[in-house]
Amino acid sequence: MTLVFGAGVAFLAVSLYRVQVVAFSEFARDQVRQSVRRVQVPGPRGRIFDRNGVCLAENRPSYCIAYYVEELRKRGKWSQTIDAVDADVDRLAGVLGIPRQISKAAISNHVICSLPMPLLAWRDVEPVTLARWAEAAQDFPGVDVYVQPERFYPQGLLAAHVLGYVGRDRPAMRPGEKVHFYLPEMIGKSGLEKQYNARLTGVPGAQLIRVDARGYKHAVWEGTPEVPGRDLRLTLDVKVQRTLEKVLRGWRGAGVVVDPHSGEVLAMASSPAFDPNELVPAPTPGIWNRLNTDAALPLFNRAVQGRYAPGSIFKPVTAIAALLHEGFDPEETYTCDGVFALGTMRLRCWNTYGHGAVTLRKAIEQSCNAYFCHVGQTIGYPAIYEQAHKLGLGMATGIDLPYETRGLLPTEAWKLKVTKEPWRPGDTCHIAIGQGMLLTTPLQMAMLTSVFANGGTLYRPRVMRRDEPGERIREMGWPPDVLARVRQGMRDVAEVGTGRRVKVRGLAVAAKTGTAEFDAGGVRRKNTWVTAFAPFDYPTVALAILVENGASGGRTVAPMAHDVLVSIFGESAAEEDEPAPTTGAAETGSD
Amino acid sequence: MLKRFFSRFRNLNPILLASMIGLGIIGVMFVYSACSIREDADLQLLYVRHAEVGLVGLVLYLLAAFVDYRPLMRLSVLFYSGCLVLLVLVPVIGEETMGARRWLFGIQPSEPAKLAIIMVLAWLFGRRDAGRGVSAFFLALLVAGVPGALILLQPDLGTAMVLVPTVLAMLFAANVALRLFWTCVLSGVAVVAVVLSVIYAAERVDMPQERRDALIRATCLRPHQVKRLEVFLFPDKDLHGSGYNRRQSVIAVGSGGVWGKGYLKGEQYMLGYLPPSISSNDFIFSVLAEEAGFAGSATVLLLFLGLLWPALWVAYRCRDDMGRLFCVGVVSLTFSHMFINIAMTIGIMPITGLPLPFISYGRTFLLTMMVALGLVQSVSIHGREPESKF
Repeated sequence: MTLVFGAGVAFLAVSLYRVQVVAFSEFARDQVRQSVRRVQVPGPRGRIFDRNGVCLAENRPSYCIAYYVEELRKRGKWSQTIDAVDADVDRLAGVLGIPRQISKAAISNHVICSLPMPLLAWRDVEPVTLARWAEAAQDFPGVDVYVQPERFYPQGLLAAHVLGYVGRDRPAMRPGEKVHFYLPEMIGKSGLEKQYNARLTGVPGAQLIRVDARGYKHAVWEGTPEVPGRDLRLTLDVKVQRTLEKVLRGWRGAGVVVDPHSGEVLAMASSPAFDPNELVPAPTPGIWNRLNTDAALPLFNRAVQGRYAPGSIFKPVTAIAALLHEGFDPEETYTCDGVFALGTMRLRCWNTYGHGAVTLRKAIEQSCNAYFCHVGQTIGYPAIYEQAHKLGLGMATGIDLPYETRGLLPTEAWKLKVTKEPWRPGDTCHIAIGQGMLLTTPLQMAMLTSVFANGGTLYRPRVMRRDEPGERIREMGWPPDVLARVRQGMRDVAEVGTGRRVKVRGLAVAAKTGTAEFDAGGVRRKNTWVTAFAPFDYPTVALAILVENGASGGRTVAPMAHDVLVSIFGESAAEEDEPAPTTGAAETGSD
Repeated sequence: MLKRFFSRFRNLNPILLASMIGLGIIGVMFVYSACSIREDADLQLLYVRHAEVGLVGLVLYLLAAFVDYRPLMRLSVLFYSGCLVLLVLVPVIGEETMGARRWLFGIQPSEPAKLAIIMVLAWLFGRRDAGRGVSAFFLALLVAGVPGALILLQPDLGTAMVLVPTVLAMLFAANVALRLFWTCVLSGVAVVAVVLSVIYAAERVDMPQERRDALIRATCLRPHQVKRLEVFLFPDKDLHGSGYNRRQSVIAVGSGGVWGKGYLKGEQYMLGYLPPSISSNDFIFSVLAEEAGFAGSATVLLLFLGLLWPALWVAYRCRDDMGRLFCVGVVSLTFSHMFINIAMTIGIMPITGLPLPFISYGRTFLLTMMVALGLVQSVSIHGREPESKF
C-alpha cells in the first residue's frame, strides 16, 4: 500500500516536472500568445495650416473594429484559423447589424502576410455600431476597437488642388512576403500631400500590451513611441483663396495670386474643384468615376498643369524685347487699320476698325495686335525668345507642387523637328501677340507678372512657408526706364484701357488683359486672361487669372481680378458711381 | 494528570503535525493570492476565513488527538446517521449553486460523510469478531454506497468517486473477501475503460448523430460529465468552450517553470484566463504552480508525503485493526484528493470538482480533514496502549 502511494506521488512529481520544466518554454509561449497583443500606435500625419494659422488639413479619429488573429489561433493548419475568423466576422456582423467589409481572401492574405498586426474588419464605424460592440464585446475574444487617424479637410473644397489628398498605401505585396512592421497607412496622392509626404508622415509606434481574458488592457509591456508628422504652414491666405475660388465658381479656369517680392503663393485655385474628403480614405467607385469622366477635369490643377496660349498678356514681354532692341523707338507711331498683312497672311486686330496711329504705350493700353505684329517683325523672334526664356517660359517654375508642366516656348529648331516645317515670319508674328505655338501655365504668367511688378527679379514660387527670403532664379537686368515704360502701359490698361474693370477705387493697379483664340476641333474657342499687380509703386500682389471660354479678358476676367484685389486691399467707399460703360468698340470686343 | 498529558504530547507525531500546518500556511498564502484580484471585498478576504477555519480546525485537531479514538469509533454510527440525515435533507432544503445542491446551512454534508464512512468501516472491520466474508464485503459497499448515491445525486461526481479508492483501500487492508475485491477492482477498471472508449469512439468514428446520442446515453453520465471526459480525451477540441479551464490550467502550471513567476505575480489568474471562481478552490494548485514553479509544486508534494508516510507509519505501529484501518482510510482519502486534483490541473485526469486538501479554500472540507488527521494523531498517541477502562 505504501508502494501505491509512493508511486502515485512519484508519478505526479514526474508529470509536474514534464509540464513545468521540460515543456516550460512551450507553455510560456502559449501564455504570452494569448495575453500579449501587438498594437500599432498611429503616428498622426502632420496638419496643414494657411499663413494665418487656419487649419486646412487635420486628422479625425476613425473607429475600426480589429481582429487580433493570433489570439484566435486554432490548432492545425492555418486554414482552420482563417475559417474561424471568417465565421466570427459573420457572427459579429450579425450582432452589429452591419454588412461585412472584409472578404475571406483578405483575411487569408492578412494571416499570411501581416499576422501580428490587427486585422481591420470594419473601418470608420458609426457611433451606434460602437455602442453595439461595447455590449457584445465580451462574447468576442481577440476583437477590439482600434482608433485610426483619418485625414480630414475641414475647409472642404477650399484649396483642394493645392492640398491634394491622401490615399491608401498598400503596395501590392509579393505573395508570401511577410510584413512584421508597420507601413504608413496613408500616402499623399497629389498636391502638397504628395509633395511633402515624407515630412507630413508620422512614424507609428508599436506597443506590446497585456490583455486579460476579456480583452481589457492590463499593462503596457514595451513599445517604441510614435513620432507624429510635422505640420505644414502654407503661404496661402484663406481669405484671398476663398475669394479667388468664389469668382471662378461656375467657370473652368484657374488663378494664382503671389507676393511678387518673395514668390510666396497667396492663393491658387483651379475650377471646378473637388472635395478631398470624398477621396479619403478611398473614393467609392461612383465618385472616382464621376471625377475622372467629368469633361471639366475637376482633379486637374489648371494653375500648374494647364497649358494655355497667353494671348495679349504676353505683349509686355514683346514690348520689353522691343525696348531693349537697338534702334527701336517707342514713340514712333504705327497706324493700325484693323488688319495686319504679312505676305499672304492677314492678321486681324481685335478692333475691326483699327486703332489708328499708336505708340508703344498706347498699343499696350489698347492691346493692339497689329502694332505688336509689326514690332515682332521689326525686332525678330530671337529678341522675343531671349526675354521670354529669361522670364521662365517653357520651363517649370519649380514650385513645390507635383505634376507641374513646363509649357512650351518654341524655337526654330523645335518647330523643324516636330512639324518638319521651317520657321515662318507668321510664327514670330503670332508669338509676339502671345498666340501660335506658345503655351504657358497660369502660374508661369503670375510669376512673369511679378517680374514686372518687383522691378526685374524672377522668384521661385512656393506654397510652403519658410522663414527665409524668396529664392531668386534670375535678375532681368532691365534698365529702369525700359521697365517703367512697360509698367506705365500696364497702368494705363487698368485705368483707361482694356482692363478698366480691374480698377479698384483707392488703389493703383496695373493690369493686362488677354483673349487667346484657338481652334478646338473646328470650333473657335477663347482663353481669356488677366494679369495684374498692385499697388503700382510698390506692388505686394501679382496675379494671373485664366478662364476658359470667357467672353474676353476685359469683360469676363477683369471683374474677377477686381474682386480678388478688393479682398486683399479693400476698396475705399464709392464717392461716385463708376461711369456707366459707354457703348463702344472698346467695350464690345475689348482685349 | 499534567504529566500524563505531556507524555501523550511526546507521542504526538511531529512530522504529521508540521506537514499539515505547512500545507495550511501554503493554503492561506495562495488563497490570498488567488483572491487578491477579486473585486468583491468579501471575496478578497477569503484567506482570512480560511485561516480562521484553520485555527478552529487546529483546536479540534488537538482535541481529537488527545481523546482516545476507540470510543469515538464505536459512536461513529451516530455520526454516520447524522450525516445521512443531512445528506437526505440537502436536496430538500439545500442551497442551490451552479445547478447543484451541495450546501446545507453553510456546510457541505458530503465532506463529514466521507469521514463518517471511514470511521464506520474502521469500526465494522476493526472488531476482533468482524466477518471477512462476502457478506461483510457487501455490508461495506452498502455503508459507503448509500451516502455515495446521495452525493452522486447532488450531483457531485468527484466526491462520490473519491470514495471508491478509499473504501477499496480499507477493504484491502482489512483483508475482506479478497477474491471478490479483485473482481470488483478489475470490473471497475473495465467499466471505466468501456465508458471512455465509448465516448472516444462516438467522437472519432463517423457515426450518425442518433446512434452517437444513444451510445452516450447508455453510459448513464450527465451531459456535462460527458463533456469533461471528452475534454480529457480530446484536449484541443473546444479550447474556448468546455476545454477552456483545462487548457488555461495547464498553461498556468507549465508557464511557471522551475522557480515560478513569484508570489502574487501569477499572470493566468490575474489576467482572468484562469476563472477567478475556481482559482481559489479546485484550481488553487495552478495558481501555486504558476507562482512558485516546479520548486513550489515539489514542496507541496513533499509536504503531502510528510502527511501520508507518517500516517501509514502510525497505522503500522497501531496495535488494533480499528486504528490501522482508520489511518489507511484517511491516507487513501487524502491521497486520492491530492492525486486527482493535481493530475487534473495538468490535464492527465478529467476535470472533477475535487479540492486539494488543506490548500484549497473550502471550510467544511478543511475542518473535516483536520479532524480526520487529528484522529490519526489520536491513533498515534493511543494506538500503542490498550484502551483505558474507566
